[in-house]
Amino acid sequence: MTYMTQSSLDTRSGTPGRAVLPGRSLMRYGFFLLIAVVFVIFALLRPTFVAPGNIHGMLMSASIAALMFLGLTWLIAAGEIDVSFMSVAALANMTVAGLVSSGAGWPLATLGGLAIGAVFGGLNAGLVAWLRLPALVITIASGALAASIAAAIGLGTSISLSTTGFVGGFLDLRVGILPVLALAVAALYAGAWLAQERLTFGRYIYAMEQNRAAVEEAGVPVNRLLFVLFLLSGLMSSLSGVLLAANLSSGQPYLGTSYFLDGLTAVLLGGMALKFGKPNVLGTLAAVIFLTGLLNGAALLGWTDSQRQIVRGSLLLIGVGLVVFARARTRKRHPA
Amino acid sequence: MTRSALLVRILAFVGVVCVIALLFWSQNPAFLSTGNIRALLRHMSVNGLAALGLTFVIVVRHYDLSFPGVASFGAMTMGWLIAVGQPLAVAIGGGLFVGLLFGLANGAMVARFKLPDIVTTIATGGLAIGFSYFYSNGTSISKNFFMSGLLDINDGRFLGMDRPFAILLGAALLGGLILHGSRFGRAFYATGENPVSAYYSGVPVRAMIAAAFAICGLCACLSIVLLVASSGAANVSAGTQLLMPAFAAVYLGSALFGRTSIPATLAGTMMMSLMLNGFTLLAIPYFYSDAIVSTVLILAIAGFDPRVSGAIRAALSRKETLA
Amino acid sequence: METDSFLSMRGIGKTFGDVRALREVDFGLRRGEIHALLGVNGAGKSTLIKILSGVYSKDAGSIRIAGEEFALGTPRAAIDAGIAVVQQHPELVGDLSGAENIFLGQESERPGFLARVDHAEIRRKAQALLSRFPIEIDLGKPVGEMSAVDREIVAILHALRLENARILILDEPTSTLTEREKQSLFGMMETLKAQGLAIIYITHHLDEVFEIADRFTVFRGGRNVATHRVDEARGGAISIPNLMLDTVAGHVFPPHSDRTDGQVVFEARGLGRTDEFRGIDLTARKGEILGIFGLVGSGLDELSKTLFGVLQPDTGELRLHGQPVMFRSPAQALKAGVFLVPGDRRTEGLSMQEDVVFNTTVANLGRASAGGFLRFGRNRRDAMALAERVDLQPRKLNRPLRGFSGGNQQKVVVAKGLYRQSDVYIFVEPTVGVDIGARAKIYGLMRELSETAAVIVMSSDCDEVFGVADRCVALYKGAPMGSPSRDLTRDHLLHAGIMGDPAR
Repeated sequence: MTYMTQSSLDTRSGTPGRAVLPGRSLMRYGFFLLIAVVFVIFALLRPTFVAPGNIHGMLMSASIAALMFLGLTWLIAAGEIDVSFMSVAALANMTVAGLVSSGAGWPLATLGGLAIGAVFGGLNAGLVAWLRLPALVITIASGALAASIAAAIGLGTSISLSTTGFVGGFLDLRVGILPVLALAVAALYAGAWLAQERLTFGRYIYAMEQNRAAVEEAGVPVNRLLFVLFLLSGLMSSLSGVLLAANLSSGQPYLGTSYFLDGLTAVLLGGMALKFGKPNVLGTLAAVIFLTGLLNGAALLGWTDSQRQIVRGSLLLIGVGLVVFARARTRKRHPA
Repeated sequence: MTRSALLVRILAFVGVVCVIALLFWSQNPAFLSTGNIRALLRHMSVNGLAALGLTFVIVVRHYDLSFPGVASFGAMTMGWLIAVGQPLAVAIGGGLFVGLLFGLANGAMVARFKLPDIVTTIATGGLAIGFSYFYSNGTSISKNFFMSGLLDINDGRFLGMDRPFAILLGAALLGGLILHGSRFGRAFYATGENPVSAYYSGVPVRAMIAAAFAICGLCACLSIVLLVASSGAANVSAGTQLLMPAFAAVYLGSALFGRTSIPATLAGTMMMSLMLNGFTLLAIPYFYSDAIVSTVLILAIAGFDPRVSGAIRAALSRKETLA
Repeated sequence: METDSFLSMRGIGKTFGDVRALREVDFGLRRGEIHALLGVNGAGKSTLIKILSGVYSKDAGSIRIAGEEFALGTPRAAIDAGIAVVQQHPELVGDLSGAENIFLGQESERPGFLARVDHAEIRRKAQALLSRFPIEIDLGKPVGEMSAVDREIVAILHALRLENARILILDEPTSTLTEREKQSLFGMMETLKAQGLAIIYITHHLDEVFEIADRFTVFRGGRNVATHRVDEARGGAISIPNLMLDTVAGHVFPPHSDRTDGQVVFEARGLGRTDEFRGIDLTARKGEILGIFGLVGSGLDELSKTLFGVLQPDTGELRLHGQPVMFRSPAQALKAGVFLVPGDRRTEGLSMQEDVVFNTTVANLGRASAGGFLRFGRNRRDAMALAERVDLQPRKLNRPLRGFSGGNQQKVVVAKGLYRQSDVYIFVEPTVGVDIGARAKIYGLMRELSETAAVIVMSSDCDEVFGVADRCVALYKGAPMGSPSRDLTRDHLLHAGIMGDPAR
């Protein structure tokens, strides 16, 4: 199942159009231009936007969000969907908080949080990749399960922590105004980009979205790849949940909700960058930075929750629309 | 499906319901008291209505994830209209209108512009939540609620039934008539099963998809009216609790009865409400409810999936041939 | 059978449920030969191929390659045995280049997901593979931008990418190719043959058998009924069609009609769509059946969709009962009284999970309901009457369509049309995958329908068009070869449709 459950009624074949080169590079790199423009506008309107403290804060939250959306990017690129990622992060977050507050040390708590990611990633992977059950409904259910357990750990409320352990220590490391975390995430994404572009891993992900049967017939263990992707999504989500526990000095059972829209928006909007509508890790990273800056700048300008929520929803719609539009154009150019 | 197979499934369902009821009754005799059964049916009404609407979208083989957000927006719209002194009918009409509007917008985007349903409805749901903050910047609204007569919807009775349950029954009857007794129902199913063949048969495929989304939005807002009437306040997160039970009801129902239909959805809702109510009665805290529902859902989907049962059967027969 | 076979299959049997798909089949294949497999749909040739490619495992018999016994049974085992298969619709990834598609799954020496994709090596190996053939194609181009024949060549190279390939199976590779493209494919096959490969070639086109094959085997009813050298059949000494069909073809068709004075119902005047078809003039009358013969790629499919409102014409017009009409959708065409029995019943004609009553009535919900509500009893009686009229077997109205044979599914599509009571019936490829008994029934129903409506039959099966229609015309590369005529011989129609040579 792809995340697009679309009927193909359009039997009309379009007239083959011609690719205009400036248009293509505008589409490829235009998103980066947009980010620069928006950031410059914010900096001009509110100089605090580029104050070191603000930049540091934005980099921290962008880094954590980027970790959470890494696995999701590849799942959507492979034509699947996962809507449990933010709840898994919340559960990992509450697990860490629960373990730490009950006296376990941070190392053990961190392992516990990551184990949660492995369990839920494995659950989704097993049900969707091996049993071929519908990904959306399964991940809605497993996400609800995770969210419910997260709430149960704190009996419905948050858990505040007195120490942030070695994780907190790591988060506090910085080089100039750059948090070490941001550097680590940048390095991770660079590695992910290489895996996506240079290794069979990335090749199979995109090939699978286009024609799963072809990849299967070529002898590639597609199910195993899907399994890895779901597992990865669970692990990365739980890692970000662990970091959030130290970053917020607390366990927040409902922190997932705010990441849900942002995750999908980042992946789909980011897909417009570089790869003409195909989700890719660098696009996701750029979109995360864009969203973080946008929401932060909007807060500095005094926008209400309502307005920011509407911006999020609209951006996601625009992202979806652009993806569909870009794909329709490329499909028209090469009628299969 | 043949009739006898369907009969077996109905009997199995009734049997399971009886077993669950007996188990809870043995733990707490109050489970089968009139008061509790009425509470159970009222609870079922809210979730059932949202699930009814979703049934139409699932029948045309699409997904709607926007209805919880749309329902919140509907709740806040209705609450605001009551708070500014509009008559109850106008307020409810306003709330339902929001649902219809968003449903049609979803339908247009998915059917006409071919946007992918899952992500599109997530986005419109997010937008709806954004709009729901407009009225009170996120605080809950309950002004004039008592005076308006809204609460009577929850407390009143109709033909010996509590009003919410009567509304659910009425909606289910109407929905069942449309989906199983009318030409439109045929068109919905034809669209879902094979849209190309439906198009070649003259079925207005796009209109059917749009209509399914519209019905889903409308039902979600109708269900939120009942929820607000029972809680006495409208707030921006009112709708979020509809998502899981609605999906669970539709999928549980179709797993139980082999295909998506109105009676199947009702059965699915009933099964879930039965369990949730029972666990509440056993003093299990509210935050476990989603865990119970989602576990049952995963088990039902996995257990009734033809591939899974086929694989089990194949494994068994392989063992036999080996032996 | 001969003893010098490279591949030798003996006593192969395969049963699905209570259907015996293959019984006691012997089959031999030599090195350096092209061996055509012939047979109507369901004759058993695709089952045999699936056993060879490891998709099915055989129930009985033995398979030997170069004297060595092989069980096969899994695709992996077939590949290891050196059997390379090119499916009828090869699966390729459109965004990847030809070279990348050829070595999909073999990007590196190391298996797994974390191996480096060596672009230069892939390109080099692909070019080396290609250089074995006298063919020039750009393997750096994305497959999605390639022509049909280039895609077919990529698919063949993909199948041959393994060093050990010794047997190549081609399943109807020419179905989407033009005449010129076909020649470059045949050139490639000749080269492979010269290099000692054993090739099994599945086709429905007898002319291709004479053109390229060395020997042919005919399947009928799950048996190998004959294997001959092509030379032996060339003089007409052996009638391949008679080997393929159980009964002599003539008995399948109802008698022709002599009526020429029927009322004109449906006309096309100068109908055309850019790059698809042009200059179509048709007149469909009551009392006779109009036939159009055209191969895949002739524009036949697009023409049928234009007559039914799925596509709109760029030039020309349609007239119904003398009035110009413009159909923007099938719904409008149906309302005006035109019904299409589509060529692909699984995707265009039926809801396979729904039962007979549902499928029969779905194209005319107005008739099936009163005041919007379904008339269950009446619909059931109507469906039963129609099931009797089309002779549906078994007559189980509650059974989902996927539980019926291909022929009976097609009868339900016809029943759906009968329920519509239209003025014009267009049948596209009406008997693909339909057994011989159901074929006769469907042809009979067409004749019956022509009493009260205009009937047009469009098919890539020349004998079908010639046998059932009263007036025929061939469509070749989008252009009609003359105007529909009663005095065409079968050979004339065949040549016009295959070679575009109306005068002969």
